[in-house]
Amino acid sequence: MDRVSTGNPQADLILGGGFPANSINIIMGQPGSGKTVFSEQLAFANLAARPVLYLTTVSEPLPKVLTYLQEFTFAQMDAIGTRILYESVADAVTKGPENLPDRVIELLQQYRPAIIVFDSFKAIGDLMPDAATWRKVLYELAGMLSAYDTTTFWIGEYIADMVPRLPEFAIADTICELTREQHGTRDDRYLHVIKLRGSAFLDGFHAFRIGHGGLEVYPRLSSPPAFGPNYGTHESRLTTGIEGLDDLIETGWLRGTTTLVNGPSGAGKTLLGLHFLREGVRHGERGLLVTFQENPTQLARICRNLGWRPDETPNCGALEVLYTSPVELQIDSIVGEIFRRIDKSNVRRVVVDALGDLAGASRDVLRFRDHAYALTQRFARQNVTAMLTMEDVRGNGRSEVEPMIDNILLLGMLLGDTVERTIRITKTRGSGHDGRRFVLRITSDGIAVDKRV
Amino acid sequence: MVEPADDNANDGPEPMTGPGALILVVDRDPHVKRLETYFLEEAGFRVEFADDGEDAIEQARRLRPAIVITEILVPKRDGLSVCRILKSDPRTHHVIVLVLSILAAEDRAREAGADGFLRKPLNDTLLVDCVRRLLQQPMLAEGQIHGSR
Repeated sequence: MDRVSTGNPQADLILGGGFPANSINIIMGQPGSGKTVFSEQLAFANLAARPVLYLTTVSEPLPKVLTYLQEFTFAQMDAIGTRILYESVADAVTKGPENLPDRVIELLQQYRPAIIVFDSFKAIGDLMPDAATWRKVLYELAGMLSAYDTTTFWIGEYIADMVPRLPEFAIADTICELTREQHGTRDDRYLHVIKLRGSAFLDGFHAFRIGHGGLEVYPRLSSPPAFGPNYGTHESRLTTGIEGLDDLIETGWLRGTTTLVNGPSGAGKTLLGLHFLREGVRHGERGLLVTFQENPTQLARICRNLGWRPDETPNCGALEVLYTSPVELQIDSIVGEIFRRIDKSNVRRVVVDALGDLAGASRDVLRFRDHAYALTQRFARQNVTAMLTMEDVRGNGRSEVEPMIDNILLLGMLLGDTVERTIRITKTRGSGHDGRRFVLRITSDGIAVDKRV
Repeated sequence: MVEPADDNANDGPEPMTGPGALILVVDRDPHVKRLETYFLEEAGFRVEFADDGEDAIEQARRLRPAIVITEILVPKRDGLSVCRILKSDPRTHHVIVLVLSILAAEDRAREAGADGFLRKPLNDTLLVDCVRRLLQQPMLAEGQIHGSR
């Protein structure tokens, strides 16, 4: 089956390659959800010999549509009027809604478009005198659009509970919903495929943002993609760069494993992660520090105080930093960006500091577990060795992601006349380990495990 | 009922194949008929319709069109059967048959003796190009068939 690209590779992935060609598709969502941007991006991605016909109806006036369109980088202004044709069917519809099929067939015969967009289609339905007339108009329109070699998009301010009630949804081959949800002080946007006739698609809610380039979509991740490297069966070791730690595990520290570093604030989690990444850089392995805690200035200060060489510190080139304020954190976009950077830069070591911030940005616990699972499986599949820090806010050293984790390091702080930090290995998958509690020393030289129990 | 082929029937004059050539469209979808008519007439052809397979055979014998464009899924007698009858009847064996169908049935169309096959939905450029090619070079080597998609 031929496909029509959305102009966004990630949205195409969700749709199993794009919208089926010669289909009738509904793009629905409340005002401001991004429907028009989505359809405009699609239109400009499909400039070919036959034009795209963009029909405005009785919703947004054409000058308004064109004014805002020019703000987007995908808008090729020289294509407007030649390969993207704007027409209005407002007159025909207001004179008599039942005139719509005849007006559309005239436009088909005149322009022979490869794609037709009706924006807003719901506004046409709202003008119908009764449901019976609307059904008749829809039947005529759908028959005519299906007879000709064109792919149709009906854009409308529909909401979810209209789907089982309105006849246009029974006709449509694809139904895509764009939603907008408040999450704290931030709005999160999601793309949701409700129906895609005759094709497999990625179900669930997929986050997206709207930027100057149009929609940036982040497919929901719950398992590693079917492409890319397979899970490795060859076990090789690495050094963590934390003095005294590696030989506490019988097999040594295995590549492709994920370690949870759990402990209270100030226990040394970030320092542990930084040492782990610096060790990678020293061995020619690119690293990625995903941080929601320390900003780049704070990280530079920590490394400077430890006397680290500039070429071993974050943002040195071999060690990338992905810093996002927890306030602006959208879990799907961050996880998508982590995967993108791993692929692009061949990253071998990753530290996420801290996993709890990702959990806080998630809509619910289940969704967070999906993401944590996706992260650990992707790391294993690509032989990336990872450390995920977690603030022990409950004080019991437990976390809901533990079953997905290969190794767990539990950090502690004993508060007496002095602060004494401790480290203990509580889990290593498939290997014996020394589970005693050791002192974790932080000095101006860095961090080290003191073998005196 | 359609009459059986009559081997003794007179072939009569060859149909006109240039500009103004007559095309018989066999389809029951009003939208396809409307669009086909528009695009074919715009390209300079004359168009007549048949709503079912038996009507198609009767009209083909009577009107002697240059081309019959038929859907497979038509009432009374399917488009492939229409094609076989036209190709086996001395009165119509010279009529070019183009199958234009929603079904992916190019092989079946070829076996039925069709000269061309196109898959729906209707693409005006493909349709007119195919009709023109068929009119210019109707006879192809055995097994070959005009059209695409």
